[in-house]
Amino acid sequence: MKAFLPKDQLPFLLEELGERIEVIAPVSTDAGPSFVTWQGQPLDLKDKPLTPITEFLLPHKEALFTYVQEAGRYIFKEEEIPSRLLFGIRPCDLHAIALLDRIFGREPPDQAYFRRRRATALVVQNCTSPGRECFCAGLEAGPEAKDPCDLQLTDVGDGFLCQAETPAGILILNAGRALLKPALPEHLQEKAKLLQEARRAMPQDRSCSQIRQAMERADWEALGRECLSCGGCSFVCPVCHCFNILDLGVPDGQRLRCRDSCMLPGFSRLTGGANPRRTPGQRLRHWYQEKFEDIPQITGLPGCVGCGRCHLTCPAAINRVDLTVASRFVDDSSEARR
Amino acid sequence: MFLHVDGGRIVGTSPSLAHPMSRGSLCIKGWLAADFVGHPDRLKSPLIRQGDLLIKTTWDEALALTAASLRSIQKEFGPQALGVLTSAKGTNEENYLLMKMARAALGTNNVDHVARLCHAPTVAALGFALGSGAMTGSISSLQSSDAILVVGSNTTEQHPLVASYILRARSRGAKLIVVDPRKTRLAELADLWLSPRQGTDVAWINCLLNIIVQQDLADRQFIKERTDGFIETLQATSAYTAEKAEEISGIPAADLVKAASIFGLASRGAIVYAMGVTQHFRGTDIVQALANLALATGNVGRDGAGVYPLRGHQNVQGACDMGALPNVLSGYQLLSSPQAQAKFVEAWGGQIPCEPGLTALEMLWAAESGSLKGLIIVGENPVLSYPHTSRVQKALKGLEFLMVSDIFPTETTALADVVLPAACFAEKDGTFTSTERRVQRVRKAVDPPGEARAEWEWICDLTERLGAKAEYSSPGDVMDEIASLTPIYGGISYERLGPDGLQWPCPTKDHPGTGVMHVSRFPHGRACFRPVLYLDPPETPDADYPFMLTTGRSMYHFHTGTMTRRTSLLDREVPTPFVKMNPEDARLMGIRDGTKVRVETRRGSISVEARLADGVHKGDLFLPFHFSEAPANALTAQSLDPVSKIAELKVSAARLKKEAP
Repeated sequence: MKAFLPKDQLPFLLEELGERIEVIAPVSTDAGPSFVTWQGQPLDLKDKPLTPITEFLLPHKEALFTYVQEAGRYIFKEEEIPSRLLFGIRPCDLHAIALLDRIFGREPPDQAYFRRRRATALVVQNCTSPGRECFCAGLEAGPEAKDPCDLQLTDVGDGFLCQAETPAGILILNAGRALLKPALPEHLQEKAKLLQEARRAMPQDRSCSQIRQAMERADWEALGRECLSCGGCSFVCPVCHCFNILDLGVPDGQRLRCRDSCMLPGFSRLTGGANPRRTPGQRLRHWYQEKFEDIPQITGLPGCVGCGRCHLTCPAAINRVDLTVASRFVDDSSEARR
Repeated sequence: MFLHVDGGRIVGTSPSLAHPMSRGSLCIKGWLAADFVGHPDRLKSPLIRQGDLLIKTTWDEALALTAASLRSIQKEFGPQALGVLTSAKGTNEENYLLMKMARAALGTNNVDHVARLCHAPTVAALGFALGSGAMTGSISSLQSSDAILVVGSNTTEQHPLVASYILRARSRGAKLIVVDPRKTRLAELADLWLSPRQGTDVAWINCLLNIIVQQDLADRQFIKERTDGFIETLQATSAYTAEKAEEISGIPAADLVKAASIFGLASRGAIVYAMGVTQHFRGTDIVQALANLALATGNVGRDGAGVYPLRGHQNVQGACDMGALPNVLSGYQLLSSPQAQAKFVEAWGGQIPCEPGLTALEMLWAAESGSLKGLIIVGENPVLSYPHTSRVQKALKGLEFLMVSDIFPTETTALADVVLPAACFAEKDGTFTSTERRVQRVRKAVDPPGEARAEWEWICDLTERLGAKAEYSSPGDVMDEIASLTPIYGGISYERLGPDGLQWPCPTKDHPGTGVMHVSRFPHGRACFRPVLYLDPPETPDADYPFMLTTGRSMYHFHTGTMTRRTSLLDREVPTPFVKMNPEDARLMGIRDGTKVRVETRRGSISVEARLADGVHKGDLFLPFHFSEAPANALTAQSLDPVSKIAELKVSAARLKKEAP
């Protein structure tokens, strides 16, 4: 089902949806865009929030269940998972969700992930103005959404071309029926043209094989000396999904799942203190190895979606794509980023 | 930074791309900053002591008991028997209200905080030399420096984002000189690494100044137009030849000459330093020596040129700014100034004592000797963080009344008569002032646990119970009063504090704030040189105690670990205390990585695991102080710097032996 939503009608559509389900949308704040529960705030559909939308499927900290001791027995209680509509997610993040589905879907499937995943509707916004850090085109993760989602929007100038792909997508459009106009062939032509332009605007030398070549050339120890071991690249990566489990509270408490980062030395430290990935350089190499060798073996897809967030958040002088020692502030002017 | 809240709980943290300093980056402790917030150990209700137990009570009873106890001590022994230790983790508003309570309600200037053990020498020395004890430029201006001298700072571990600007300057071609006894990461990346013996800093800094003047690299015009006291200083430093400095510090003379010419030739030279400079019994002298160096080379008042003290706690700058110090009111207005006195008396009513009060350690000593009877400690854990643990414990136990406000039970709350549960940074509104003088808002994201309250609320309540006025509807209200009484904060109000915050001095409502200080004039007119001379540290290794023990920090923990050891990932990184030692020393003693050893000084002894580290000199030991099961400060001495009253935390003679397995 296709339709056209004039731009000024978007808040009304979100209002309609907000009455039925919690809507998460990229909201503009004076400290930058952020995915939050939409309650009428102004949207920022231009810049990509630094924290990827996958946080709503795999939170940095999540209570898997609560345990309470009663009369010598433990009672376990799972928390309720809220139903959510994730609005305005980017094709790169959608691709990351497709990857996480495959990773967490291997036997036995990760129930905590799929409980959230099943309660989530996805509305994607195709990228017509990619950021300077973006290279999704080279990894075939964007700028057009190719992975399953419920509804796909494309900003074609004065409004959005809406293409529903699932029954949920049709329900979303039905909720805003009064606001919609018919989609015209021109809208489809405009979409194709804009996305072609977006594709061209991105660097052409960032394919999976090119990054693998950069990995072979890289001087990992030199890069590692620059790395400040903040873990930021793992925390903003929409594909990174490693976690740690801990029980907090005795005798009653919660079993928590917390995001972890292989950039921290303790991640690979063995009992007794030996560490197979002792230096930051070895850990950095592992990070790339995982994304460009291991995840492709498991899922058939590269474990990187080209969102460039690792480059945006890295405080060190490491070019996260070319794998050379160079500060992002030397090649990009800081003003361009703000 | 953003806190991510779901269902009333914090589930994540992320940086803001729009922030002028962090620009989308955080260090590991930043990414995990809010992990401890919902921890089950949090203090949830006020407690009062009954015998050996701390019993739950109501806020009303806890505050009534506190007020009555303080009043009776005040009545019987006078206000000088009371003291307040404020928190460098509290907001500006809370520090201001506590200092007001101490002065206006308790009638004492015995008010201090943990800066006494970190940057008191900076406040004293830079205050004298430059007229202001704060960082002279913005952190981001470091990226435009041509030469950066990093002294006693393990910047990549302790201030990673500051390090990122230093490394950015380096990738632009700036020269980097790192002075540290340990071979830190930054030392590995430096153009020149100088490794002095512990406690010999004045010697090599004076030597650099001497060589710079001899090679005619001093900025004569700057010295003439903007400074006083250069000639006397020059006379004092002329004795420090490269050879003499080598003899004292162990740094090769050739390296000193090289460092002097790098720094002297740079058109924008920056000096970055931290605890390795200040935590010495002559800390003020070392900071002054660095200030002399900056002044002689004209490296003040420009982007990328300046003195950059790196402060540790998120609001230790603000706690100093708010006058939580025994000798100044907010904004470093001297107690001895009649105008300042009159202004505060008019605003607060009543009286303010004129005599400077006791510093943090002096308060504890007074408690030990019995002249200090009642103490309020807010958000601090002196039992672990102050030198000479056993003496601190004895002092606190000797008090007639001790009230402690904190977010977790600590070694210090265990000794208290009244314990108040506090809201943490994510649970209250207020402002923090960062190390680059940037006043920034902090906003409430979640409710405090149980009955815990934001500290500003109970401080106001207690102040009123003690008979002074403290009617504020919100922290914003308090900031308005701070602005009206504090010239450097004069233009600051909550409405003006956007994501960039404002850097003080910001005297008026239309002032844009100050990135680089001292551009054309110093606050006190002309900058002051002061000659400083090298003195041997109070304790040096000898036959009984052959090792030189220095204390410090781990990248993954903060202060006494009350928060970071409850952050699962950080605790996973460094779960146990350790002592770092040179592998050669270890080999001779039959010690391997992970061997249990006992470290002893004349003050005490602790048992820890040995870690072998190439970066540690032979004969040196490095011990982090975060761990209550092996408190580093059980070992440290209390020799005080005569000016700033900081303790010697970096140099103790120690011995080490293998523990029986």
